[in-house]
Amino acid sequence: MLAKLAQRIGGRELTLLAAVVAAAVVFASLSPVFLHPNNVYAIIRNSTELMLIGLGLTFVLAIGGIDVSVGMILGIAAIAIGNLLLAGVDPWLAALAGPLVGLALGAFSGTVIVLGRIPAIVATIGLLGVYRTTIFALLGGSWLSGLPSSLSEIFAARIAGVIPTSYIVIVVAYAAAFVVLRRTPFGLHLLAVGNAEERARLSGVAVRKVRIAAYMVSGALCGIAATFYIANYRNVEMTVGSTVALDAIAAVVLGGTSILGGKASLLGTALGVLLIRMLQNGFTIVGLPSLWQPVVTGVLLLLALTLERAAVAGLFRRLGGLVAARRTA
Amino acid sequence: MTDVPFLKARSIGKQFGAVTALAGVDVDIRRGEVLALLGDNGAGKSTFVKVLAGAHRPTSGTLEIEGAPVELASPQDAAAAGIATIYQELALSENLSVAENVYLGRESVRRILGVPILKRAEMRRRVDELLAELDAHIPDPDLPVGGLSGGQRQAVAICRALNLDARLVIMDEPTAALAVAETRKVLSLVRNLAGRGCAVVLVSHNIADVFEVANRMVVFRRGAKIAERRRDETTPEEIVAFITGAHPSLRSLEHLG
Ligand SMILES: Nc1ncnc2c1ncn2[C@@H]1O[C@H](COP(=O)(O)OP(=O)(O)O)[C@@H](O)[C@H]1O
Ligand SMILES: [Mg+2]
Repeated sequence: MLAKLAQRIGGRELTLLAAVVAAAVVFASLSPVFLHPNNVYAIIRNSTELMLIGLGLTFVLAIGGIDVSVGMILGIAAIAIGNLLLAGVDPWLAALAGPLVGLALGAFSGTVIVLGRIPAIVATIGLLGVYRTTIFALLGGSWLSGLPSSLSEIFAARIAGVIPTSYIVIVVAYAAAFVVLRRTPFGLHLLAVGNAEERARLSGVAVRKVRIAAYMVSGALCGIAATFYIANYRNVEMTVGSTVALDAIAAVVLGGTSILGGKASLLGTALGVLLIRMLQNGFTIVGLPSLWQPVVTGVLLLLALTLERAAVAGLFRRLGGLVAARRTA
Repeated sequence: MTDVPFLKARSIGKQFGAVTALAGVDVDIRRGEVLALLGDNGAGKSTFVKVLAGAHRPTSGTLEIEGAPVELASPQDAAAAGIATIYQELALSENLSVAENVYLGRESVRRILGVPILKRAEMRRRVDELLAELDAHIPDPDLPVGGLSGGQRQAVAICRALNLDARLVIMDEPTAALAVAETRKVLSLVRNLAGRGCAVVLVSHNIADVFEVANRMVVFRRGAKIAERRRDETTPEEIVAFITGAHPSLRSLEHLG
């Protein structure tokens, strides 16, 4: 029974869960602050954007793509929402602007990558530059600050003291993503494209549409993340989103989604995000300067990639043996 | 066999940049008949097959299906015209299950709030039936294809074709990577398909296999069709001579260049 459950959930996800628990135990023993409800709330709240951006990147990595400009999409969408709020637009409408701007930018990025036949890593480094300059131009060299608290009241309110209300949206987004990935033709097509584009094409999969759609999903989720970013921080600074791509890619790869495509784990992504944010929080609490946070994330990413290399080596052996653990979500 | 062929290819040419992969190829494909395509490596067999499969647009020439001109611009177009292709490099996704591969690109779905949801149970049941029909020795349609043997993968690809209710099944080197017992199985399946009234195009290097199942043979050489023979009017020796270019009738051709 337990073994069956473990097989359904997947080894990587269980390992991550154990790591999350272990990290919590270690930090709690090092500092009484760590498990204080306010700190637990802070960890969970600080995970908000990454939960959504990681979810989107799971789709992008599933097709064998990558997007290092996700933080900039978040930034541009956040500026749009902030300006709408400053202009006195209804907060629900302003919130909606986030996913719309994100969707548009995702569609643009996807089209550039797919129709331009540019490797995603190169194209999105280029787009990162374009989007970052756009942010500078939009902010005009200063901060966007003094935003009304209307979105905070909606999305940063607490459930049970430690969970922000934004998590209602996040849970719905993960559930919807699960259905899309495991229960719809689009989900199958994503995984087929990620496995081998030419084979998917020969099987009648509309490869280019599927690839562009993956970047659109990712863009839209970056846009929703921007809504929560505004709710949480109520300002947008020039450096908005600069560490997001590293954190998000690390979380997704750590979660067991293949950097080579064809394999995705939603539960793994959520756990990866939680682990990264917990470690960043914990290390700060025990006195590691926050300057070191990208080092922690970077090391985790490299560790995850090393694990994946080992996994790829044993892939066919395992594929033959395991049925149920095939594609855990 | 009816008089109008299922498919008529006329003057088919295909360039890849400076490389002429096909030139002026005329072939008729008939229902209930196994047509073998033979030729040396690089003769253009796979390219011709991909033109029929909608995977390559021909640079010149026309295709007719049941007397009506068609353009096969994509694998979807070919599938819609009743053409199923089993590629040499089996176009299967190793990370997906047997059932998912059989249905990939034409999944059966029900709509819930407008969202297409896979009918997994139905797809699995249908694939189970097909596998049993083929006696394919694949115990579970939920197995990932990445763990299957060459013969089992071939069976999955054939299931795909059967599931399309294909009227023309194209098989590119289906037995190239198979052990003897698996080869026998695939060949009996080829006959089986033709017996159902399917048109079958079989690409093969193996002359013995071809003489066992084919009704007609077409030999390609350097992108051109150089010979066409019914099985009862030729011999393995003659076909080999065409393939290697040693056939006397080819001497003058080769000199003309
Ligand atoms: N995608 C392609 N791009 C460029 N040249 C190709 C391509 N596919 C096939 N060719 C060339 O076309 C010719 C015919 O190849 P092919 O049809 O694969 O032959 P066969 O299947 O008979 O071995 C060869 O010269 C091959 O190199
Ligand atoms: Mg070939």
